[in-house]
Amino acid sequence: MAGKPVRAVNAIDQTRRMLSLVTYLRERPGARIEDVARAFGITEDELVSDLDVLPMCGTSFRGGDLLDIDTDGERIWWHNPAALGADAAEPLRLAADEATALLVAARAVATLPGLRESDRQALLRATAKVETSAGEAAGASSRLSVTFESEGGVFADVDRAISERRRLWIRYYSPARDEVTEREIDPIRLVSVGHTYVEAWCRRSEARRTFRLDRVAEIRILDEPSAPPEVELRDLSEGLVQPAAEDPEVVVEVGPGGRWVAEYYPHDSAEELPDGGLRITLRTPEPASLRRLALRLGRDGRIVSPPELAASARHAAREALAAYDGIEPAGATAGPAGGPHDRQERGL
Amino acid sequence: MAIAKAERLMNLALCLLGTRRPLSKRELRESLEAYLEAGSDDSFNRMFERDKDDLRELGLVIETVESLDGEIGYLARRDSNRLPPITLDAEEAAALGLAAKVWQQARLAGAASGALQKLRAAGLPEDVDPYEPHSALEPRIPVHEAAFEPLMLACRDRRPVGFDYRKANAAQPEPRHVEPWALECWRGHWYLAGFDRDRGAERVFRLSRITGRVRSRGGRFTAPVPDVVTVRETVASWAGETADRSARIRLRSGAGYPLRAKATAVRELGDGWDELEIPYGHGLDAWLVEFGPDVVVLEPAELRADVVDRLRAVAKG
Repeated sequence: MAGKPVRAVNAIDQTRRMLSLVTYLRERPGARIEDVARAFGITEDELVSDLDVLPMCGTSFRGGDLLDIDTDGERIWWHNPAALGADAAEPLRLAADEATALLVAARAVATLPGLRESDRQALLRATAKVETSAGEAAGASSRLSVTFESEGGVFADVDRAISERRRLWIRYYSPARDEVTEREIDPIRLVSVGHTYVEAWCRRSEARRTFRLDRVAEIRILDEPSAPPEVELRDLSEGLVQPAAEDPEVVVEVGPGGRWVAEYYPHDSAEELPDGGLRITLRTPEPASLRRLALRLGRDGRIVSPPELAASARHAAREALAAYDGIEPAGATAGPAGGPHDRQERGL
Repeated sequence: MAIAKAERLMNLALCLLGTRRPLSKRELRESLEAYLEAGSDDSFNRMFERDKDDLRELGLVIETVESLDGEIGYLARRDSNRLPPITLDAEEAAALGLAAKVWQQARLAGAASGALQKLRAAGLPEDVDPYEPHSALEPRIPVHEAAFEPLMLACRDRRPVGFDYRKANAAQPEPRHVEPWALECWRGHWYLAGFDRDRGAERVFRLSRITGRVRSRGGRFTAPVPDVVTVRETVASWAGETADRSARIRLRSGAGYPLRAKATAVRELGDGWDELEIPYGHGLDAWLVEFGPDVVVLEPAELRADVVDRLRAVAKG
C-alpha cells in the first residue's frame, strides 16, 4: 500500500519496538496478532519475528525468568507477566529523535491549508499534549521544520471531490506549452511532495495525470460521479516525474552558471566539463517543452541535441529581439543577470 | 546480525530498567549471554559502550553511579524513564497516525513509528486505523539529500560541522565551516541555516549543493543561536519573491498565464496584446525570457536591457 511508512530494519528500531510491545502485551492477555501488528504499524511477519526474540529476553541479572511469551499463530500469550515486574513494564518516555520526528511532522501537516478543520484541531491538541509529555525531549524539534505548500481553495475542492467521489472540471496551466487547457478529471488522491499535486484520471487524454495545484487556474466540482479506472498507485518516493525509457533524449551543455539544471531536472547523466560546467543527458516525452529551458539559460548553456530544439530556441530569441529593434544594446550592464541563486523550479 | 543485537540490547535494557541498585559492568557481563560470549575484555568493553549509546539513542536515560569503593554502576531509573501521563482521544490519535507516516527518511520514519508505539503502549486509542488513509491527502516529506542525516544530528547536538559547498554558479566546491542551527524543507528542498565561521555571518545553504561528506568538528558554537531562524525568507529572496519594484510588459493574449496570475494590473491593448504590471524582483529577467516572442519588456530600462542581452546570447546559439 502506498501509505506504508518507510521502515528501516535495524536493531535499534526493533529494540525500541519490543520495549513498547512488552508493556502493551502485559495489559492484553491473548491479544490477536492481527490487531497488535496493526496497532504497531508493522506487518504480522515483523511481529512474529519480535515474538521469536522476546522469549530469549528477561531481567536475567537477578536470576529472573526469561519472558515466557508464545503464540499459536493467532493469539499471543504471556505465561509469566510477573517476570518483568510492574516497574519494568511501564511506558517509556519519548526520545529526542522520536519527539522531533513526530512533532515536526505533526506541525507540517497542520499547516496544510486543505486539511479538514476538525482534523487540524485534533492534530493541534495532540501536538500540544505530546510536547508536554515529551518535556525536554521536545526542545530539539524546533531545529527542524517543514512547510507544505498548497493552494487552499483548490485543495479544499479536490479533497471534497475525492471524498464525495465526484468529477472535477479544471482549467490547467501547462508550462511546457505555455497554455491553459480545460479538462475534466476524476481525482484519485492528493500528494504533497514539496508542492501539492492531485493524481487523477484525465478524461481528455484518457490517462493518468498528475496536476500541480498551484497551476490550476480555475476549478469546479461537477455533479457527475468520478469513476477512475482501477489503477495501481505508484510509489512516488522517487519523484513524480519518472521519464520512460522510450522518451527522446535531450543533451544540454551548461556552464557553471547553469549547473542548477541538474538539480531541477531528473536526468540520466551529468558529466563534468573542463570549464566547470556539465553535459546533462535527460529524457522527456516532449523535447519541444525544453525550449523554455534553452531560452532561460541564455549564455549559461545551450541545447546540443536534438538540433531542431536548438534551432527553435534560436528562432524564438530572434523573433523576440525583433520587437526591441532600435533599443540600445545592454552594454555595460551585461553579465550573468540571473545572479548566483537564480531560481528554476519549472522543471517541477 | 540484526537479531542477535536486538536481543542483546533488549536484555541490557530490561536489566537496567529492572534493577533497583546500580549494576557494575562485571555484573552485567556475567548476566547477559551475549556478553559472556564476547571473548576478550576489549571486545566486551567496546560492545558494552556501543550498546549503552544505542539504548540512549532510543531514549533510555542510563545513569552512571560511582560506589563508595570506586566501582562504576549503571541503572535506568523508572522515574526518569517513565512516560508522563498522556491521554489522547480517538481523533487526536488518528491525526498523529497520519503525521507519523509522512517521513520518507529511514531514521525519522523509524523514530516517528517508535514514538507512536510508545504512545500505543501507554494506551493511545486504536479505534481508528492510523495506517489506513485517513483523508484523501497523502503528505510526504521527501529527503533525498545525503547530507540530511549528519546535519540533523549536528543541529540536534549543536555540533560545528565542515563540508564542501558548491555555490549555484561556481564550478568548484569550497570548504565551509558552519555552526548549524536549523534545517528547513521548503518546496521539497532542504536548507540549512547557520553561522558561517569563515564569513563571520549567518548563511543559508541548500543541502543538494553540499558535495562529499559532512564532517563533525570538535568544540562548541562560538556565535549565539538566534531564537528564531528564518530560512524561508532568505530562500524566497533568492527566488525573486521579494519584489521591491514593478515592471511593465506587453504579453501576447492568451499566453503567459503565470505572469497574469502575478500581475497587479492588466490592460487589453486590443491588437492581440495585453499590457501588464508585474512585481520586479530578483530573477525576473530569466523568467521573462522563457516566454520568448510572447513578452516584450517596456520598463524599466534596466530590465529591458537584461532581457535583450539574454535573448542575444540565445540567438547567437
